[in-house]
Order: sequence, then structure tokens, then C-alpha cells
Amino acid sequence: MSGSGLARDQVAPRPALDSSAHGATAVNGTTAGNSLIQVRGITKHFPITRGILARTVGQVRAVEDVSLSIDAGEVVGVVGESGSGKSTLGRVILRLLEPTAGTVHFDGTDVTRLPRAELRDFRRNMQMIFQDPYGSLTPRMKIGASIRQVLKLHKICPQAEIDDRIASMLRRVGMQPDHANRYPNAFSGGQRQRIAIARALAVAPRFIVADEPVSALDVSIQAEVVSLLQELQRSYRLAMMFISHDLSVVEVIAQRVIVMYLGRIMEAGATARIFSNPGHPYTEALLSAIPRRNTTQRRIVLSGEIPSPSSPPSGCVFRTRCPYAIADCADIVPPLRQVDSTQWKACIRDDLGLAGSG
Amino acid sequence: MISPNHRAQGTDAPGKMAARPRLARATTRVPVLRVENLQIYFELEDGRVLRAVNGVSLSLALGETLAIVGESGSGKSVTGMSIMRILGRTPARHAGGSALFTLKSGEQVDLMTAPERRVRRIRGREIAMIFQDPSSSLNPVFPVGDQIAEGLRIHQGLSREASVARATQLLALVGIADPHRRIGEYPHQLSGGMRQRVMIAMALACDPRLMIADEPTTALDVTIQAQIVELLRELQRERGMAMIFISHDLHLVAGVADRIAVMYCGQVVEEGPVEEVLDKPRHPYTMALLECIPERDQATGAPVVRPIPGQIADPLNPPAGCKFHPRCRYAVKACRQTDVELEAAAQGHMTRCIRWKELQ
Repeated sequence: MSGSGLARDQVAPRPALDSSAHGATAVNGTTAGNSLIQVRGITKHFPITRGILARTVGQVRAVEDVSLSIDAGEVVGVVGESGSGKSTLGRVILRLLEPTAGTVHFDGTDVTRLPRAELRDFRRNMQMIFQDPYGSLTPRMKIGASIRQVLKLHKICPQAEIDDRIASMLRRVGMQPDHANRYPNAFSGGQRQRIAIARALAVAPRFIVADEPVSALDVSIQAEVVSLLQELQRSYRLAMMFISHDLSVVEVIAQRVIVMYLGRIMEAGATARIFSNPGHPYTEALLSAIPRRNTTQRRIVLSGEIPSPSSPPSGCVFRTRCPYAIADCADIVPPLRQVDSTQWKACIRDDLGLAGSG
Repeated sequence: MISPNHRAQGTDAPGKMAARPRLARATTRVPVLRVENLQIYFELEDGRVLRAVNGVSLSLALGETLAIVGESGSGKSVTGMSIMRILGRTPARHAGGSALFTLKSGEQVDLMTAPERRVRRIRGREIAMIFQDPSSSLNPVFPVGDQIAEGLRIHQGLSREASVARATQLLALVGIADPHRRIGEYPHQLSGGMRQRVMIAMALACDPRLMIADEPTTALDVTIQAQIVELLRELQRERGMAMIFISHDLHLVAGVADRIAVMYCGQVVEEGPVEEVLDKPRHPYTMALLECIPERDQATGAPVVRPIPGQIADPLNPPAGCKFHPRCRYAVKACRQTDVELEAAAQGHMTRCIRWKELQ
């Protein structure tokens, strides 16, 4: 707890959030003072190296100066296309990757400065769920053994109670206790995701980063896993960062949304607000790409693909695909500025009247 | 100052506005594929028989898109692959039924019984297929241009030069910018969306009459998914091809299909025009699939998902009677006892439910 104030003050001033970072008011919508997770100015660059001397010839700017906060019991959705930096951001917050700059505070503790040994113990507070549960469950390990491993590592319960805890976690995610004796390949994609959730929650974390947890699943299975996550999140009052490119799922589960593009936040705010009244053209395009039953609604099909994060466009990074770009957009990196009490956007145009979702 | 119509101009320029895709139904249908009572069984090592496709009938005309929708294990992909005859002889077995395909020449062929030599000339030239994962369908060690040109040389007998020129044209046709440069690039140098465009270019190379697209956008971002769906629809209309679009997402197919066939446990449980199936579903499974898609609740305005209770039926051990009855909220005693036949609920709208009249 002590020291966190100092660390926060050392962060270089960021024009967009300067006023809110130091005041008692909000960063992207939550009260800055008592959020469980506080992310300040996170930047992550990956060097591009060439030759046998591994000379650095450039930087992949995966995440640029991102600040956000997540309260206990709150779900924040992070949306954007592949290459938007959303997964990198999630990994940096859990310190699976070291940030180039910025800090992450978890309940007052600066995670980015924890020594390795302490970090390992600290991880029981923060768990991750991945897109591909087959990749995160060891194929040669029975699922009971997989869960046992994390319970032992974090010394969650006495040896004698481990089997009971495994059984109860499996039951909690809708599986049978005797499934513990099977290997991951015996299960369908949806079941494996349930098992991965059981393992993540077995250590009683307070914060979960879920990285595209339902993107690889059928719509019907998606619905099952989303309602399960929602139910568990509420009953354990978990803080959650839900990363997805599918806005329709995020709308169901998240109270607040952060829209990322090429490593930067384009827009942030309350889910209902952003879906009905997007403030950024990129958000509008993402919303319009959601397949809808009613296809009479006009659809904006974004041309081209996300540019390379090693040479992002000048000014607003979205301008090369933005239908509303004007000359000024090439000059200024638009700051993330507050539109009203529930919405922040990084777009210089206020005259657009963008379309929300259905 | 921004003029009132600035928005429309702005969006028109770099992006494209999608119009509602609807086939003019007055035009005469030229049937290209008629699948009758198709049965594809897999014989497992332990002697059990998995009825992956269990009596499917479909028909498709030129210029028409039929979406086959269902969960994993419903038999939708096996249906597509068996029409393309790429399941191999074992362990899949054609247990019955026919798939009559009308060639460009006007001749009819039963794809189920035609000799392999014959089918090889139909594949690519008359029927083409694209898959979910383009990277596994492209050879990583050859430039994409070579891979498109090879097909043109084999199937159309073009010279090396002509095939490369045509491949460049095809890349431009599927919306790849700078095709002259891209043609020499390897699959790993392209993004997932571009690889899928390359696959589409390859599929179009020989001007097929029927394109089978099996979950072509599932691995892509929503924005790229929208681009690919748009592209497929445009190409299909321009060329008057017939298309089978296989997907698990009813909303996605709403933007591309003329008709929808919903499959469950190897059977078509509902089939009809896209608006009818989506707006007036006549089978509880279709209704349940629609409720899985996150949507705002009519009453509260809050977004909700409603998962289907229970597990998808085990095709090795399917339930008696209606295959969906264990998960169906409308099931009655009769549903558990007798097999249900497809019945017309409206003109061209079939359902496999004995209670369809009572469903609202």
C-alpha cells in the first residue's frame, strides 16, 4: 500500500488523463482512489532485431500509454481487432510480459515492481483464461492433476482437502467430479473451457483476465460459457478484464468497455452508452460489423486491414481506415478526452453523430 | 461546416455500404444440385456406426445461396464434404441417397456414385470449396501466385504466362491490393483475411457453378469477417454461382443466404427462406439457436444470452423419436416415441416438429 502513491507520481504526465489521474475523479469511468486494478501509462514495445548481433532495427509498438482501472466485482471489456494490442495489454497487466513503461497496481501493490519470488505467490490473486483451452491444459495430464498442481503451488488448502476442492470446482462449472480422471482430449471445446475456468478459479483469485475465452466456440457453446462466466463472476465478485473482438458478447458481460486500435485506446466508457452512442468512428465500424438478424441496417464495411504496429500512421492511428478522416487527423495524436460522465474518446471530430448498434 | 449528407459520402468513399441481399424470386430457377435422402455413415473400429448425415435432402439453383446451420457435430460439414466427395472411402461410407449435380454441359452426374476419375474433373472445375482455416489449405513453401496458377494450368490448360496473368487478375478480383506484388508472396506474409481471399481466388479460378464455403469466416476478426462475407456475396451474384454457406451462426448467414437449412444430429430439422426461418422459426431448435446469440431483451433492453439446456445429441446413440426432444422445452410424450418427418409449414418452409402449429 505504501509506496504506491510514490510510484504513481513518478509516471510521466499523460495529457489525456492527467487531470483525472491526480484528482479524486475517474479514469475511464471508475473512481481512481479505490479501484482494485489501476493501470497507469502502460506501454509495451517489442524490439525488432536483425542479423547475428541482434541489432535493434525497429520497435513493434504493441501498447502505447494505456491507463484504466477495474473495480472489485466489475467486468471491463477490451475490444479491437487482431493487432490492436488488447492481448498484450492483458498479459502486461498480469506481468506475463514486462511493460516498457507504466505501472499496474493491484489493491495498492505495484505488480510491475514485485520481485520474481513474490510475484509467483502474488499470482494467485490474478488468473488468466485463454482462447484455446487445449493449449493451456497439458494434454498428458489428467484434468484433476492439472487443478491439483495449481492448488499445491499456491497452497490453497490442506493436502487432505484437495480432492474435495477439485470435485467442488468441477461441479461448480457444470462438470462431474469423476471427470477429474480423464485427459483433456476426452472433452469438447466447450467442456475444456469449463475445465480451464475451474482451474483458474480454484485458487480463489480476485481478478481474471479472460482473453477471447469464447471466440473459438460455436454460438450455442459460447452462450453456455458466457453465462457460466457471468454467474461465477457475480457470485465470487471477481474483477474481470474480458478481451474479445466480438462486441455482442462483450455487451452481455461487461459494465464498461475499452476500444483499442493499434495499441491505443480509441474510446472508453459505460457499455450501454458506447453501444448506443459510439463516439469514435472505429467503435461505430466494429458495432456495424456484428452480424445482425435484421440486415436492413446500413453496414459500414471497413476497408483494408489494421496497419503494422511497427510503423503506425502519424496523428490518429485509425485515420487510414477512417471514413471521416480530415487533414487535421494526420497531424495530431488525438488525446483521450472526456465527452461526459460515462464516455471518453480519442477523436477530434465532435460533429459526426455516429450510429450505435441495433 | 459539415453538410447533412457528409456522412453518407464519407462512408461511401473508403468503405462500402452493404445492400440487403435478396434474390429476385421471380426469376426461373435453374437447379444445379439436388441432394436426395443422403446418408453418410462412419464405421468405427469397435463396430459402432455413426450416422453423421442421416437422410438429408436439399436443392439448390444457380444464383442461389443455401446456408447450412448447426452446432459442431450436426453433420453440416460432412454434408458439404460428401458433396465435394472429399471424405474418402473409409471410414466414411455412403450409405444411401444421391446428389445429382448438373454440369456446365447440362449433363447430370450423381456425385455419390460417379467414379473417382470423373469426380476429379468436377472438383475445382465445377464445384469448389473453401475452408475455415486458409493456412492449412495453402502450401507454405510456394508463393500464393504459383498455387493459383497451378490450378489454372492443370484444369484449363493455360500456358505459364497466361496462368500468372490470370492469377493476378483473380487476386485483384478478390480485393487484394497490389496483386502484382502479392502474387510472389508466401502465405506467412499475408494476414488471415488475405489468406482467405487467396483461397477464394483459387476457388474461383475455374469459374465453378457451385461454391461450398465451410465456416469461411470463423477464424477471422468481425471486421474482416464482414469484408469476406460481403466479397463472397458480391462474387456469387456477379457470377450467378450457386453457393452452400456452412456456419454455426444464424445471424451471420442472414446477410448472405437466400435459404437456410438448420441441421441437428444428421438431419435437416427446418428449411426455408431466410426471412421466414429467422423471423418465424417453426422448429424449437432454430428458436433455441437464435436465443444463443447475444441480443437485447425486448422487455428490459438488457443484453442477454440464453444457452440451450443439455448436451448436443450423441450421434452414436441418438435419442428415440425427435432427436432434439431431450433439450426441447416443448417436448411432449409423442416427441419421444415416433420419428418425426419433415412437414411443410408454409410454401417452401419445412419443419421436423409435430408441434409447429403451436409454437409462437
